[in-house]
Amino acid sequence: MSATAETVQDRKAALKGLGTSRKRVEDARFTQGKGNYVDDIKLPDMLFGDFVRSQHAHARVISIDTSAAMALPGVVAVLTAADLEPLNLHWMPTLAGDKQMVLADGKVLFQGQEVAFVIAEDRYIAADAVDLVQVKYEELPVLVDPFKAELPDAPILREDIADAKEGAHGARRHPNHIFTWEQGDKPGTEAILSEAPVVAEEMVYYHRTHPCPMETCGSVASMDKVNGKLTLWGTFQAPHVVRTVASLLSGIAEHNIRVVSPDIGGGFGNKVGVYPGYVCSIVASIVTGKPVKWVEDRMENLSSTAFARDYWMNGKIAATEDGKILGLWCHTTADHGAFDACADPTKYPAGFMNICTGSYDIPTAYLAVDGIYTNKAPGGVAYRCSFRVTEAAYFIERMIEVLAIKLNMDAAELRAKNFIRKEQFPYQSALGWEYDSGDYHTAWNKALEAVGYKELREEQAKQVEEFKAGNTRKLMGIGLCHFTEIVGAGPVKNCDILGMGMFDSCEIRIHPTGSALARLGTISQGQGHATTFAQILATEIGISADDITIEEGDTDTAPYGLGTYGSRSTPVAGAATAMAGRKIRAKAQMIAAYLLEVHDNDIEWEVDRFVVKGAPERFKTMKEIAFASYTQAIPGVEPGLEAVSYYDPPNMTYPFGAYICVMDIDVDTGVSDVRKFYALDDCGTRINPMIIEGQVHGGLTEALAIAMGQEIAYDELGNIKTGTLMDFFIPTSWETPNYQTDFTETPSPHHPIGAKGVGESPNVGGVPAFSNAINDAFRAFGLTHTHMPHDHWRVWKTANKLGLHG
Amino acid sequence: MILTEEVQIPLDRQSVFEALNDLEILKKSIPGCEELTQVSERELEALVVVKFGPMKASFNSNVEIDPSQGPELFKLSGSGDAGVAGFANGGADVNLAENPDGTTALTYTVNIDISGKLAQVGGRLIEGTSKRLAKKFFSNFEEALLEKHA
Repeated sequence: MSATAETVQDRKAALKGLGTSRKRVEDARFTQGKGNYVDDIKLPDMLFGDFVRSQHAHARVISIDTSAAMALPGVVAVLTAADLEPLNLHWMPTLAGDKQMVLADGKVLFQGQEVAFVIAEDRYIAADAVDLVQVKYEELPVLVDPFKAELPDAPILREDIADAKEGAHGARRHPNHIFTWEQGDKPGTEAILSEAPVVAEEMVYYHRTHPCPMETCGSVASMDKVNGKLTLWGTFQAPHVVRTVASLLSGIAEHNIRVVSPDIGGGFGNKVGVYPGYVCSIVASIVTGKPVKWVEDRMENLSSTAFARDYWMNGKIAATEDGKILGLWCHTTADHGAFDACADPTKYPAGFMNICTGSYDIPTAYLAVDGIYTNKAPGGVAYRCSFRVTEAAYFIERMIEVLAIKLNMDAAELRAKNFIRKEQFPYQSALGWEYDSGDYHTAWNKALEAVGYKELREEQAKQVEEFKAGNTRKLMGIGLCHFTEIVGAGPVKNCDILGMGMFDSCEIRIHPTGSALARLGTISQGQGHATTFAQILATEIGISADDITIEEGDTDTAPYGLGTYGSRSTPVAGAATAMAGRKIRAKAQMIAAYLLEVHDNDIEWEVDRFVVKGAPERFKTMKEIAFASYTQAIPGVEPGLEAVSYYDPPNMTYPFGAYICVMDIDVDTGVSDVRKFYALDDCGTRINPMIIEGQVHGGLTEALAIAMGQEIAYDELGNIKTGTLMDFFIPTSWETPNYQTDFTETPSPHHPIGAKGVGESPNVGGVPAFSNAINDAFRAFGLTHTHMPHDHWRVWKTANKLGLHG
Repeated sequence: MILTEEVQIPLDRQSVFEALNDLEILKKSIPGCEELTQVSERELEALVVVKFGPMKASFNSNVEIDPSQGPELFKLSGSGDAGVAGFANGGADVNLAENPDGTTALTYTVNIDISGKLAQVGGRLIEGTSKRLAKKFFSNFEEALLEKHA
């Protein structure tokens, strides 16, 4: 008896399925420097492209003289907009329904904009030739402040659409205005604000930053003129979408385009968009008949491909005097830069910003977002978040703190008082989402207890007294955050990118000897898909994860999918994997019943085999079944063992978490030190706890960077002031604190295995926790809100303004 | 960016003012000036090489001078193009006041905007470098002037 039980346990463990901290199979090659990235691709006769970029933020292009560059030995061609125009490729569509110049067409609209593309025999010659291209500009007035975009003297940026009263997302009220997006109940919310006993108001700015992945963007295009096939390798988070876009743009039939995402050195949203470099490398390959490589450098990455955030969120929150929230109002001014190239589902021009009621039961709410053009780089991508969720979470978690100050109430208590209660799920939010599941109070209480919240507040109060008495120059901040994410985009009925429904897919082949190959429509950029998807499948089909190969990223072999971003891989492709696995199991059941000479219903699944009910000694393992499927004629059953699943999720998933940060701040230097960071994540079913922990550590470190210093800053002339890693903050081990991770497990009720996604939660929840800690440290001295990033200088200034420097 | 400073020059105001219009003295004064040519009465062309930290930039500059309010005020404005390295726009007002002892108090207000890659990479270096260059200009100027009047 006990022997059998043990065997089941052993067999289960041998699968290395769900819940196993299986080591990442990818790491063998990464840790040995054997990864294969775009820049590792070397093809015979390959040429190199490099951009001439605009030094100006806003200028008319008077002339481009390429003669000196063309005279340089080794230069093959220099492309300008005039060369692309006959192909109708001088502009390209963006993911947000706008269009973007591939190469400057008459004017430039941001510093770093692509003006000409030099193609040369090696990258050094290309770089030299870039310097030889003479571009004459006529400078135009620069617009960097979105609040000045609609003033009478504001320069008109987009002359191409200056007269268009309608954009991709409805009416435009000014040539520099892109869209207004409204959600919720405006009159109802305004009525509540006018009558509520308490209303707190604050402008919350989530500054412009950049995903800055370790590997920058790049592509290699190779047009084979003999068979008419274009192969495009690139840093693509969504290779299938790139193939479709490339086909639509170039006119090359889709079956003649193969898009390959090799290993990708981090994406974080930076590699979702379509960039001029991709288009130019394709055109250059078509023109020259040779493979053409384009890889941007770090400055080009920071200054031209896909920034994130830049939301000015003006909030009002209404409550009763004892802290019950009655309503939430938010108006956001969204700085989109020169072209609206946000990567959001079509119907959501401000992404999922309407998750901004957060974890709270707020009966009435209203959100309006105005998109504005400025002379800054285009982008607005979801930097390790699901389409503006991080902006939404930061906004509500700041507003809660601001309200707590107004009410003179403890911010933890205020949160607990307003959480959506466990029994309210599925919960319909005032701004239109149906939260699938949650248990916020349990997570919150666990977090408060784990850090010793009550004692921390007592210590903080004592320290304030000591500070006031002149016995210390340090203050202590307690940063609270309870976030709710919305990930796993998404249901095809309301989520699409360029019209493509946001389903995802998995195709499984079981080999005769009982190992397997699974291909997905997603693409790992470091998430460890090859490890975790094999684990999902191992549990579903009873084949060890070690015997399953996961492949992604080659559109010639992988099934169509929408790619990896917005924590959608596990919620969508992970679900497709489980469902395809179940199809395999259904067929295997028929085969097993035939082999065991019983009826289908007389056998049941047990870990890795079908067992005859009541006769545990009679069974067929999946390996045996796989072999039989290729070797025996089974009446009524096709040979082979394969399955495909395209999964359209019925709903988003709603991971959540409770984060608490304790920070010590030196008032005289502005230096802050993270004493403790506790992160409790509930991502539903946990596939690989070790990978979850790694994801949380990485995401928190990015959150630390954003909250404490990382920004893309412009001066009034439109110069990027943080265009190199000297000024753009990337934390090293020196700045990175220790993290304490924890979890609760509330499975998603609609996901086949109950998983919700986790990769982005720590960024979404981490930023408010860090920022709240800084703000909280000065609460006793009258501070309500101070903007990020909280670098030493700004913290010092905050202290100085409060009169803490004597 | 606006830079202001006062320099004392032990010469009379008219001599100082004349020197500001003297191409040879100007050439010796402008740090990194490799060429300076007069295009018309009020227009100059200059090639100036400037180092901002790790970056070296050659500015092809057009400068317009305005001595019409002399000898109290000497104005200049101009722009410099350093190609891929960036560009500069700006101007300067040089006020000359007579001291009771007959020497001259020179006050300059330089207004300069640097853009392009220089601003991106050298952002944190620009103010310091510009201040240093402005100081250097006027110390060179004083030196050249005194040499001439020695």
